[in-house]
Amino acid sequence: MDTKSVPLENKNKIEMTENETQSLVAVCLGTGGIAAGGDKVFRKFEDEIKKLGLGAAVGKRVCKTAKTGCRGLCARDVLVDVTIPGQASLTYEKVTVDMVPQIIEEHLIKNTPVNKWLAKEDYHKFYDTQQRLVLANSGIIDPENIDEYIARGGYTALKKVLETMTQQDLIQEIKKSGLRGRGGGGFPTGEKWASGAKYSADEKFIICNADEGDPGAFMDRSLMESDPHAVLEGMIIGGYAIDATSGYIYIRAEYPLAVKRLRYAIQQAKERGFLGKNILQSNYSLDIFIKEGAGAFVCGESTALQYSIEGKRGMPRTRPPQSVEAGLWDKPTVLNNVETFGNVPIIINRGADWYSKIGTEKSKGTKIFSLTGRIKNPGLIEVPMGATIRQIVFDMGGGIPKKKKFKAVQIGGPSGGCLPESLLDSPIDYESLLSLGAMMGSGSFVVVDETACMVDMARFFMNFCANESCGKCPPCRIGTTLMLDILTRITQGQGEEKDLEVLEQMADEIKTMSLCGLGQSAPNPVKSTLRYFKDEYIVHIRDKICPTATCVALHRYEVVPEKCTKCQACVRNCPVKAISGSTKEVAFINKEKCIKCNLCYEKCNFMAIK
Amino acid sequence: MKTTHLVIDDKPIIAPEGTNIFQAALDNGIYIPGLCYHPKLSQFGGCRLCMVEVTERRTGHRFACAHPVSEGMIVKVNTPKVIRYRKSVMEYLLVHHELSCPICDKAGECSLQDITHELNQSPSRFKAVRMDYPMVRDNPVLELNRNRCILCGRCVSTCKEIEGIAAIDFQNRGIKTVVGTAFDRPLACSFCGGCVAVCPTGAWQDRTLGFKGRSWEFSKVPTICPYCSVGCTVILNTKLESVRRVTSDDYLGINEGNLCIKGRFGHEFIHSPERIKTPLIRKNGELSPTSWDEAIEYVAKRFQQIINEHGGTAIGGIGSEKCTNEDNYLFQKFCRSVLGTGNIDNMANIKSPALNGLIYESVINGITSASLKEIEHANTLFFIGADMTEAHPVAGNMARKAIRLNNANLIIANERGVQFNSIAKNDIRLKYALGSQVILINALIKVIIDEKLVDLKKVETSTNNFDKLRSLIDKFNREETSKITGVTQEVIRNAALLLTKSGNCYIICGKDIEENPLAEDAIRALMNLCSLLNPAYRGDAGSGKVSLFFSRSHNNSQGVNDVGVVPGFFPGYVNTNDVSNKEKVEKSWGVKFPDAILKKDAENVIDLALNSKLMALYIMGENLVVNYPNGKKIKEACKKIDFIVVQDTFLTETAQLADVVLPAATFAEKEGTFTNMGMTVQRLNRAIKPVGEAKPDWQIICSLAQKMGQSGSCVSTKEILTEIESISPVYAGINYDRLRRKEFHWASSVYNKNKSAKYTFGMVKTKSSEIKKNKDFPFVLLTGASLNHQGTFSRHSKSLISVAPECFVEINKKDAQVLQINNGDRVTVESAHNKLTLKAKVTSKLPERTVFVSEDYEWVPVNLLRDRVHTSVKIYKETV
Repeated sequence: MDTKSVPLENKNKIEMTENETQSLVAVCLGTGGIAAGGDKVFRKFEDEIKKLGLGAAVGKRVCKTAKTGCRGLCARDVLVDVTIPGQASLTYEKVTVDMVPQIIEEHLIKNTPVNKWLAKEDYHKFYDTQQRLVLANSGIIDPENIDEYIARGGYTALKKVLETMTQQDLIQEIKKSGLRGRGGGGFPTGEKWASGAKYSADEKFIICNADEGDPGAFMDRSLMESDPHAVLEGMIIGGYAIDATSGYIYIRAEYPLAVKRLRYAIQQAKERGFLGKNILQSNYSLDIFIKEGAGAFVCGESTALQYSIEGKRGMPRTRPPQSVEAGLWDKPTVLNNVETFGNVPIIINRGADWYSKIGTEKSKGTKIFSLTGRIKNPGLIEVPMGATIRQIVFDMGGGIPKKKKFKAVQIGGPSGGCLPESLLDSPIDYESLLSLGAMMGSGSFVVVDETACMVDMARFFMNFCANESCGKCPPCRIGTTLMLDILTRITQGQGEEKDLEVLEQMADEIKTMSLCGLGQSAPNPVKSTLRYFKDEYIVHIRDKICPTATCVALHRYEVVPEKCTKCQACVRNCPVKAISGSTKEVAFINKEKCIKCNLCYEKCNFMAIK
Repeated sequence: MKTTHLVIDDKPIIAPEGTNIFQAALDNGIYIPGLCYHPKLSQFGGCRLCMVEVTERRTGHRFACAHPVSEGMIVKVNTPKVIRYRKSVMEYLLVHHELSCPICDKAGECSLQDITHELNQSPSRFKAVRMDYPMVRDNPVLELNRNRCILCGRCVSTCKEIEGIAAIDFQNRGIKTVVGTAFDRPLACSFCGGCVAVCPTGAWQDRTLGFKGRSWEFSKVPTICPYCSVGCTVILNTKLESVRRVTSDDYLGINEGNLCIKGRFGHEFIHSPERIKTPLIRKNGELSPTSWDEAIEYVAKRFQQIINEHGGTAIGGIGSEKCTNEDNYLFQKFCRSVLGTGNIDNMANIKSPALNGLIYESVINGITSASLKEIEHANTLFFIGADMTEAHPVAGNMARKAIRLNNANLIIANERGVQFNSIAKNDIRLKYALGSQVILINALIKVIIDEKLVDLKKVETSTNNFDKLRSLIDKFNREETSKITGVTQEVIRNAALLLTKSGNCYIICGKDIEENPLAEDAIRALMNLCSLLNPAYRGDAGSGKVSLFFSRSHNNSQGVNDVGVVPGFFPGYVNTNDVSNKEKVEKSWGVKFPDAILKKDAENVIDLALNSKLMALYIMGENLVVNYPNGKKIKEACKKIDFIVVQDTFLTETAQLADVVLPAATFAEKEGTFTNMGMTVQRLNRAIKPVGEAKPDWQIICSLAQKMGQSGSCVSTKEILTEIESISPVYAGINYDRLRRKEFHWASSVYNKNKSAKYTFGMVKTKSSEIKKNKDFPFVLLTGASLNHQGTFSRHSKSLISVAPECFVEINKKDAQVLQINNGDRVTVESAHNKLTLKAKVTSKLPERTVFVSEDYEWVPVNLLRDRVHTSVKIYKETV
């Protein structure tokens, strides 16, 4: 039995199960968990427990199964927690359906955990170094059960606000906390709410931006799947601050589980009086509606999002007027990100003073990051602002797998920048990242190792931006495509000397002239890779070589004459007859004709082609 | 209006608060390049060319069209940085824009060309890329070349905000973004051509132009459109004495550069090969060409003969709703002083005989005081019996402007459903039962009086007969009213509430009210209603205006009545019976009228013809045989007339019955003035020489007069208008030269000169008209205006025919089901007099047991079916 270094959350769980005198088997059912087979594992547990009638077999102990949301370490899914009353809960990782009967028999019945399947040392290290405030409930509670949320202190912030605080008090508190928008803009939330409260109209709206379009970002998704009520509570409090009459959650349609859980949560909240008319017997009423997106990254932009809710084409508009003055349907509108709302109940419950002690001077509180790419522990982490990149990548992320070297980390998705090894010790906060040429963005961390081509990476992100551009303004619509053309040419060995200069100029022009954030930040990946990895570009252009052998067009296939057995396997199979040779002659690949299909490499049994 | 002071390029500027920098610069003659901004449309901010350097609290770069002016702001339009960025945006645009200037009709008037040139672009850093989009050419008048489109969004905004149709929008995203229709269906809109007018490049093109000239070769002559009575200014583009296309100018005229399909694309009739090129005389039963001298001599001789044998009153005259004021004035002067007949009339008056008197009374009492353009400033609009979208589309655009900018309320009341696109937040649509319009209007009045929605005490002291009106309205029963009209009490009440809100309230009385046996009562009721809504009695006293507009069908339907082509009225609604009036006119014209011609007969010209009292008829600019409401009667009447002279542009059905046909010039070939439905007189400008041997109508009349012995020569339209000014009190003060700069609104001129008389409420009968239904003919035939056509001119414009080649009979969905009629089936509409076979169009807009056929398709003689306004007909499917 493993009782050392029990993480914080587990302590609460022990208390819960002690009171309950019930064994609890909790299965992670976030999207990652389900993808790994969590549904099946859950059902197997249910079936087996029912079959074995464990209630009777173990006397007083009744086993209950529960589902939880994502707890962040998706690489180790399916994660299953087994809690025996009176003992610390233990976590199994990578549980499959076949492992279920044994776990039940040995651990639940005989009370001997199956040690070989328990989570390893680094699992706990992953959680120890984090500060899970917003994600406090994620992976612990059943997201479809409002009572579990309430039992852990849910909706007390709302109660406190409605019963003891005026709008002004509330706005002051949020301002004092230093909370900044978590969607990427980093705009002080208190200020935004103060502006929103200023304008009066017959209708006012509070919107939650759950579009999360950045490739590689899934923080908002996890939060909504695992702890939807936290988001709702934050939103209702926000609504109260500005006196909103209705709320909308704009969520991308690609998140069906989150949509389902939110709908459920809204329904439950309404039943309990946390939504609807006269919330908690106060004078404040709010209804929240869900609007699903239709697959456009640009609709994550605030004004485009509002047009999308109105049923129009999602094309951003110029400001003035700002959304707080005339936004959705020309009414005063305040828009915040999912994670921002997730922070609000914490601030109210623990106080702005406590909250403002976390983080750096200008960036307060914690931030959830999604770690992806070449890293041992991909998943979600929540750290206080000011943590260094090194801590995140190596301590929590576990470092680079397969003993490869760290090369760069892309922070902020397609709007962000790549930072090299030399900047590993930089702290993560809004201002420092900007000065380095990156951007906090929504918080996606993509780690690449020495096998990644930075030019190709820049091209990938530029491709994304060019495809997602709404098409309204020439700098973004045409500029991104032209930059993409240049980058593509470079990766295909057709780069020219002046290309780098043109890229720099265009990056500047597109950034200055674009109408909305998409265009303004589209050149960032290119700019940052040019800044820190210029030599890679030069090698691609001048030498027509890709140092990491990623750019396929620059691959060169050559026969190693010594190893060639003249079997002609390659000659026969080459689809463009680029290989010459016979039983007497060593094979020779004509590089001009070669289309780099890789067939000869595969066919050669003698490793004679490189 | 608060103003802001700022400095643009070292020039101090004063601009109204809230203006954007671009507009402020535009208003003060400072040029900032921009492709997407347009003063008529809401801000887009997409082209990014209008970047300027702005110093407010700090110096930064802003995009002029999206940034409002602020006090003390300093703007620099052309700093080196700004120019560099503008050049880069232009460079991006030129990579994909198809540089087809040599074959593009836009060359010479293309904003892209202009700005590229002005920016002095250096060689591009990029290679041009061809997008190779196929041309979108699915309709006869508009084409879209997506390779030239720079996605400025102007056409999308125009279609959505001005026309209210939103037929086009952006499709796809990123570099693949294009402008198109939903699901790439063929363009199905009103074809107003607004997209072509605002397009800064050659993307949208007018197909009627089709390479017929380069923009710099055209002479551009602004004149007034010859179709409906809104009186839009059209710019005729001519080259080598032919009109090649029509464009519009945002700053000329009352239409702000908006036109409709007829105005913009319906110009091809001017050069149609069907134009009558020479005078024609019937010899041996056939009309054969002759010379002007011969024709004039013959006509003069015959007229004189008839005058000698039967007296002048045996000659009748029909003036034209389409000819100018000068043409019509001379026409009635000729008829009265040379021919010696007072038996003259015009179609507008024939269809609605009570209207002239009521209009005049409205003006005198201040009930009609606003000009048509003031609709743009309305706070509440009430269209009754009017189909704005079909009859007066550009006035509809003005209404939409009021809705968009003023948040105007809208009430539309008709006996059949009409289409009007609007985004009004308060939008009430009423369908009232056939013939119940008087009751409806009185019901509105009742609500206003009962619920004291206006200050009734003030009404009493400022008008006459109010107590009589009250007791009449008291007898009304609200429930019964609802039952008869088919409109619920709640809706009537809501409409009344909107009408009595403070602000400008404009009521437009439509064709269905005016050309109806109940016209006099209905209009009188509307006048009562208007008087009740006088701003002095409601809301903040004095703020806002109320005005009643009268729809007219043609470009000069108002003018022809103003200048006296009406039995019993001299020019300016001067009663012919009044002795002093008679003497004044006699003095001016130098004649002495016999008593006979001054009496107003109970019979109009056509009735006289039917009763064999007319020997000759002189018809100017009217296709009587098709337009007269009772087709059978008019044919009979024409048979009984010995000598018919028709003066027209085409060989219409009426001209084909004539003994002499005199070729007349179209609006493009002459000078003169038209008066629109809002009483505004506007000047035409001659664009080309008359086609063939055609002559302006007024010249023809002059020649005739001279031939018949009248002295004096006619030199110019200016002279004629000056004479009109001296005789017609409603045109007093008009000046031909001043008209070049500013139109003349006679209603406000009259209103300003006379302190408005105290209005006397008229007691209106409150029963609805009987619509005799009959077992054999169980349907009622309704008629009305149509967007794509209007009589002779549109019939000979091939683009309009392409867009709308067929006239349909509209039938209610339920009736269609019973009769098993589907869309497109050939259906016969038969009345007691005649029958017509047309293709059916099934709709839910019509009330049951009615059918609708448009009057505007000249080759479909609806009037043959009719004997009254609501003729009974029967419908059956054509069996093959």
